[in-house]
Amino acid sequence: MFLRQREPLSFERSVPGKRGMDLPKLDVPAAKDTRPAHLKRSGFEALPELSEVEVIRHFTRLSKWNYGVDDGIYPLGSCTMKHNPRLNEKVAGLPGFTDSHPMAPDALVQGNLELLYTLQEWLKEITGLPGVTLQPSAGAAGELTGVMLIRAYHVAHGAKRRVILIPDSGHGTNPATAAMAGYEVVELPSRPDGTISFEDVTDPVNGKVRKGLKTLVNELGAEIAGAMITNPNTVGVFEHRFKEISDLLHSVGALVYMDGANMNALVGVARPGDFGVDVMHLNLHKTFSTPHGGGGPGAGPVCVGEKLLPFLPVPVVVRDTVKVGEGEVPKHTYHWDWNRPQSIGKVHTFFGNFGILVRALAYCLSHGSDGLREATLRAIVNANYIRARLKGAYALHIDSPSLHEVVFSDTLQAKHDVHTLDIAKRLIDHGYHPPTIYFPLIVPGALMIEPTESEDKGELDAFCDTLLAIAKEVEADPEALHQAPTLAPMRRMDETTAARKPVLRWTKG
Amino acid sequence: MRYLPSSPAEDRALLDTIGVARAEDLLSGIPEGLRLNRDLDLPTQGSEQEVAWQMLDLANKNRRFCAQFLGAGAYDHFVPAAIDAMVSRQEWFTAYTPYQPEISQGTLQHIFEYQTLICDLTGLDVTNASLYDGGTACVETALMAVRVQKKRHTVLVSRGLHPLYREVLKTAFAPHQDLHLVEVGLKDGVTDAADLQAKLNEDVAAVLVGYPNFLGAVEDLTALAGPVHAAGALLVSVTQEALAFGWLEAPGKVGADMACGEAMSFGNRPTFGGPYLGFLAVKDAHKREIPGRVVGQTRDLDGKTGYVLTLTAREQHIRRDKATSNICSNQGLVTLRANLFLQLAGPEGLKGLAEQNVAKAQHLRQRLLDLPDMEPVFEAPFFNEFVLRYKGDMAALQEACFAESLLPGLDLGRFYPEYQGCLLWCATELHTRRMIESLVEILARVPATV
Repeated sequence: MFLRQREPLSFERSVPGKRGMDLPKLDVPAAKDTRPAHLKRSGFEALPELSEVEVIRHFTRLSKWNYGVDDGIYPLGSCTMKHNPRLNEKVAGLPGFTDSHPMAPDALVQGNLELLYTLQEWLKEITGLPGVTLQPSAGAAGELTGVMLIRAYHVAHGAKRRVILIPDSGHGTNPATAAMAGYEVVELPSRPDGTISFEDVTDPVNGKVRKGLKTLVNELGAEIAGAMITNPNTVGVFEHRFKEISDLLHSVGALVYMDGANMNALVGVARPGDFGVDVMHLNLHKTFSTPHGGGGPGAGPVCVGEKLLPFLPVPVVVRDTVKVGEGEVPKHTYHWDWNRPQSIGKVHTFFGNFGILVRALAYCLSHGSDGLREATLRAIVNANYIRARLKGAYALHIDSPSLHEVVFSDTLQAKHDVHTLDIAKRLIDHGYHPPTIYFPLIVPGALMIEPTESEDKGELDAFCDTLLAIAKEVEADPEALHQAPTLAPMRRMDETTAARKPVLRWTKG
Repeated sequence: MRYLPSSPAEDRALLDTIGVARAEDLLSGIPEGLRLNRDLDLPTQGSEQEVAWQMLDLANKNRRFCAQFLGAGAYDHFVPAAIDAMVSRQEWFTAYTPYQPEISQGTLQHIFEYQTLICDLTGLDVTNASLYDGGTACVETALMAVRVQKKRHTVLVSRGLHPLYREVLKTAFAPHQDLHLVEVGLKDGVTDAADLQAKLNEDVAAVLVGYPNFLGAVEDLTALAGPVHAAGALLVSVTQEALAFGWLEAPGKVGADMACGEAMSFGNRPTFGGPYLGFLAVKDAHKREIPGRVVGQTRDLDGKTGYVLTLTAREQHIRRDKATSNICSNQGLVTLRANLFLQLAGPEGLKGLAEQNVAKAQHLRQRLLDLPDMEPVFEAPFFNEFVLRYKGDMAALQEACFAESLLPGLDLGRFYPEYQGCLLWCATELHTRRMIESLVEILARVPATV
């Protein structure tokens, strides 16, 4: 898969006079130069001069140093790296979608509006929540939208609340989001099984007492705006007391935000709206198979309960029923409703990452109610199969029944001075992308594995066999693991110097 | 279900190894009362053919146009075939964020090149691996400006900034009662210098100005930088049409301390508003306050040059509630489209393309002004968009255009009551002389005001 030779930066290949783009002949008079002299473009320092051939080869060579889902299992926990169906790519490229202008009048983009409305209907039924906005561009953007909705709700009810509760197992985006929305974060401690602790927890090392949910709700009460809870949590365990948590928070007027990063464990099996969730986001680039694109673009729709409907971002897509004669099939038209006085406003310039939303609807239509549930069950079976096969060779820090992912710890390997990072790098030598490492923070040396439903038994076995062989190697030759990877295009990188003396762009010379 | 690979026999074997009879037995961690005990009330699975037709049917319900003379933050540009071909390689589009540098050098080196080009276009030192879009880029930039400018809490925003960017800013600032957004008015299509001067004070952290602005006009950044810097504030240029960088001097070279905006014009189609490409570039002194992922150059154990995600001490997964932003996913694949576009274009292509846009827009404006009902509103220099007042019936003009499958300019009254009856027109390299003539002919036939 990997080319051994280095591909230089394109800037180093630039040769004056080469062109990779020809312009059409200008069929109108040449431009008059109306710019003030000092605003005239002086030139470029880096833009390379290359032919199309060289640009194509450059990027093709670079691509070969990447690992993609089509190369094999991509077991990043919490990232849900599932197959990206090619149909979805194809339909997202239909000119009827790609040519459509976001400022065009509603009557001219009825297909887009119907598509968005339909996707919302699917997401409502899947989550059990009655309102959706498709504007947020990513999970973190969805979180921010959700927390701003919580804030708008409290402000409308005349309450100034200052705290958001977040479990210590939560994604870093949760506390960062709460801070961006102007809230103070108070951490909820976990129980040994990774779920939220109702009771206070005493740290066995330093004897410090961390306040549990009950104490915090008693003490902070009406200061709590809400809680952001990932469910299933980041160790893949369902918060089995979720309904009690919701009830307790609701009893002091706080709202419940669910981080839906792990929704691939619940679609068709359980609905957040049925256990007290007021607002949540979905990651369409996880659960709904839209591609990750090396970091994005994603989409992070937010689903809300009745209480938060008035505050949804503008505009909201509305379906109108056109009156037809008796016995005829009712006809529908769609429009954007911009007139929503209690709305928090806009959270994206236009309507979100529309091209991603097209792919997500294609995923829904392909799976249907039956396929969605089956996919969830298979994802859970696959994760539990890996758990069953690796248990013993790797330590299961938390032994509760887990759903779509399994988190091991490196405690058995640490005895040989081999750690999670070494195991991850050795997997690269075997041709695999490593799992998520050192997250969640509550598991020492975490190796968080999420296979998704896209892997068959053969792939799972090959992956497990590799991890078992590595566990044996740890005992036989720990030093070899410290050297890994040795078969990848690069060996371990000096990240310290990269951060200390940052080189963040190419410069001539 | 074609996307689920295990056969029934394999499934059986998986369950046997786990030690359960049925997959449902693995749901024991979910209390029974919280499970969904029915099928989702949704259609059942669709074959590839059925879904392809359903989606095509939706796409066909959108009106198609021979020409769109509408920009306003979403521009119609030609996309070279190489771009779609390259981004459809699975190594690019199915990969995750490059957390493991040893097997993500492709994505990492690409982002390093992309960062270099954004710095080149903006004339600034440091950028990141992208933000969601123009509006959210304004938010991240404004929040960064108040972080950098300690003890200053006000951000001045020119009324010439895209009205929807201003809406997104308003939403993001609402939770922060200690921060203030204040609008600076327009005069003759550009930021009103007198109003700016009146609103500058020691609480102003930054001033956001369009370059070119929403009305297409070129703001004189150098002239604005004087009073802004004298007041100790940062000048931020906001560019919603990044192709203008082929014609206008890099903002960092003419007074801007930060540059942000929208770069969808590099290799993307309008696509109903997304996915687009937000960018933000800053000076070296501010690099540790920049939000989002940043790629840096380094070496591996053998001394080979390579690339890693760096300056992570700013980010949410390390700093949690003290992070510079909550951003995690960005617009990865869209940065690849932009990088490809810029490398194909090169300096000559980019300048030539920008010149063509100016020529087409100037010609369109001239031809529209030949119509008796069109008149100029202001005379500021413009890139590929401009404003004209229409003395006729706006609804009739629109209907006439739609009927001939042309999308006219934006009716500005929706966003600027003071420009009621005005249209914001756009022309790019895609608009041929013939298309422009058709538009003029159609407009000449629009019935007079009723």
